[in-house]
Amino acid sequence: MRADDLDTKVKLAIYALTAETGSIPNSSEVSRKVGIDESEVLAAFGRLHTKRLLLPEPGDPTRIRMAPPFSRIPTKFPVEANGKKYYANCVWDAYGIAAALHCDAVSRASDGHTGEPLTLEVKNGRPVLKPYLAHFAVPAAHWWDNLIFT
Amino acid sequence: MLLFRSEETVDQWCAAHNIPRRPLVNLEQLWQLAVHWYANRLTVESRRPAPDEIVSIFASLGLTGPFWDPKKVDS
Repeated sequence: MRADDLDTKVKLAIYALTAETGSIPNSSEVSRKVGIDESEVLAAFGRLHTKRLLLPEPGDPTRIRMAPPFSRIPTKFPVEANGKKYYANCVWDAYGIAAALHCDAVSRASDGHTGEPLTLEVKNGRPVLKPYLAHFAVPAAHWWDNLIFT
Repeated sequence: MLLFRSEETVDQWCAAHNIPRRPLVNLEQLWQLAVHWYANRLTVESRRPAPDEIVSIFASLGLTGPFWDPKKVDS
């Protein structure tokens, strides 16, 4: 199998498992899902990282920290959708989960400074608009320099 | 990228973290960004937009200038 085809299979498996379970799978789980050796999955994780499609867990290449818009670890942007709970990496990704899953969603987020609860909602394919604002602290050219901070 | 109730709390956060205030995006713009980036993410066709496409997507939402250009490393 060509590397590009393998990467696509691995990527689709990551997202299918994440959408189904609410958790980003590790390399072992993806290996079982795709039916290929875990070493091949790990190589694909590395290539998908190079393509800026996922971020491995620092210090542990068998786990994925971010498969945007999903986060493997809890964040300030929990998202409820399809009866499951997901975590988004940032406010953009909170909407991104609704966009990726094509469903209604609610994110019980909070003000970045005061901590005041602020709810984001998507209904019938549209955001419920409020006068809230997203602040982009990092220029686009540097987003992947430190994606966890971005 | 954080969410804020108002420009006032953005400014308070920037001052508390000694970070310059950068562009603000409203929820309509943010939703459109999410759709551009992620609507196909679970499909075979999914791919990250190329740098020139990224510039075009931002421009279509009124987000222009070096800050929004992934090739402008000195922004």
